[in-house]
Amino acid sequence: MSATGSEAYPLPQPTTFTRPFWEACQNRQLGVAVCRNCGHRFMPGAPNCPQCWSGDPDFQSVSGRGEVVSFAVYRRTYHPAIPAPYVVALVQLEEGPRMISNIVECAPEAVAIGIRVEVCFQSEAGFLLPRFVPVGTGSTDPSISSPART
Amino acid sequence: MTRKAVIGGIGHTEFGRFPERTAFDLEVEAARRAVEDAGLRPDEVDGLITDPGPAQGILDGITPHYLALGQYLGIDPAYAGSDILGGASSAAIVQRAVLAVEAGLCSVCLCVYGDSALSSPGSFGYGRGDDAAFGLFGAVGLHALAARRHMHRWGTTSGQLAEVAIAARAHAMRTPHAQKRQPLTLKQYQAADSIVEPLNRHDCCLVSDGAAAVLVVSSDRAADLRHMPTRILGHGQASSLSTWSSPGHFDTLPAARCGPEAFARAGVSTADVDVAMLYDCFTIVVLMQLEDYGFCERGEAGAFVAEGRIGPGGSFPVNPSGGLLAEGYGGGMMHIIEAVRQLRGIAGERQLDAPEIALVTGHGLGMNTHSTLILAA
Repeated sequence: MSATGSEAYPLPQPTTFTRPFWEACQNRQLGVAVCRNCGHRFMPGAPNCPQCWSGDPDFQSVSGRGEVVSFAVYRRTYHPAIPAPYVVALVQLEEGPRMISNIVECAPEAVAIGIRVEVCFQSEAGFLLPRFVPVGTGSTDPSISSPART
Repeated sequence: MTRKAVIGGIGHTEFGRFPERTAFDLEVEAARRAVEDAGLRPDEVDGLITDPGPAQGILDGITPHYLALGQYLGIDPAYAGSDILGGASSAAIVQRAVLAVEAGLCSVCLCVYGDSALSSPGSFGYGRGDDAAFGLFGAVGLHALAARRHMHRWGTTSGQLAEVAIAARAHAMRTPHAQKRQPLTLKQYQAADSIVEPLNRHDCCLVSDGAAAVLVVSSDRAADLRHMPTRILGHGQASSLSTWSSPGHFDTLPAARCGPEAFARAGVSTADVDVAMLYDCFTIVVLMQLEDYGFCERGEAGAFVAEGRIGPGGSFPVNPSGGLLAEGYGGGMMHIIEAVRQLRGIAGERQLDAPEIALVTGHGLGMNTHSTLILAA
């Protein structure tokens, strides 16, 4: 199950729905789709609000702050341009939506569920990707960090 | 009288590495064996539903899998199709066959899974759309996220995940066709290379070349069958398609919805299950299903599987054939076939004591899909 294909970095392929997100990243801005009708914030972008099915969603910048919902430490390299080890995380943004990203600028051992993180933008093949760095510790959202059995 | 569907035939190839054989070659063999097992003739097959394995998908962008396989089999079915629900496909296509047979659309419906994944490098290591930019490759990454949450929320340990892997390998020692028949010790498990933490090599299922087929037949043909038909008491299917950005996506499976529905349709309860064939692409999925189906309380699956409970001779044997972790990757079709063997009483050395009710599950894609079958002798 070694990595296959080209050595080129597997960059995102923006679509009509995800282009606003990736273009904002190139300006070092993190943003999410927002429903003009019900206010639901969501990602990735879609033709409709996935909550109320209203069309023509808006796109708004968000704080770039969030919490780690879960994370996985890749010890095996799947793509030659992304050598292991690295941390893939599910990050819950302060504004609600969850996104897959990386936790960077810290050892994998320092990552934990519930830690607070902040977006940073790192270039891969000239394309800016939104990644996250830890900022202090301590979750405020019990649905993320607390054992459900309390 | 209402038509009922039964499983009338089973067939499969060996599982392993067969670089000289194509997936279609394997699938044709499995199909032939299933029809032979039923004691029916190829020209009596009037339904074909396929589960194209991960390495196949849609062949050339135009030709659907069932069309190519049907051509090789030389059949002109009344009802045909392919379903792509990842690992939930096998049980889902059998469910679809049951619905088709009971609606009178066909009477002898062939359900086929096949793949040459082991001879097709990278077929399980694909990138997940734009998330590949963050290095999210393979199903293993998503299941590692789920495992990490289970460990965090419930104190589940790697030793408890190990119980699932060790039980699978212990079972497979009594499965002559199993791909991995060597036992696994806790020490070996702990020494294994990590793939995507917290999952190591032994938490991940095997990759195989192989094919398996099940023949779903109208009960009015039961007298023509070579073996005792296997009854289908209940079935269910559920999907969570709203992506992993939804809260709870990595904490529960759609099984929590379709499991109870399937049991209600079957008129039986989890306490009636004698043999559990749980889709086991990764050890963590077995734990999650034990909770989602209600075999134990949420968060208690780690303790549930401790001390060999799901292994050979345990009080709740799971996947007596060894499952995906040790028997080989047979989609989910080999789980159905093992259930049929156990219910027929032909499972050889690993035969359980006269089981009457079997649960078979399927789980697929980014933890998006789930399927359930409840079978009876």
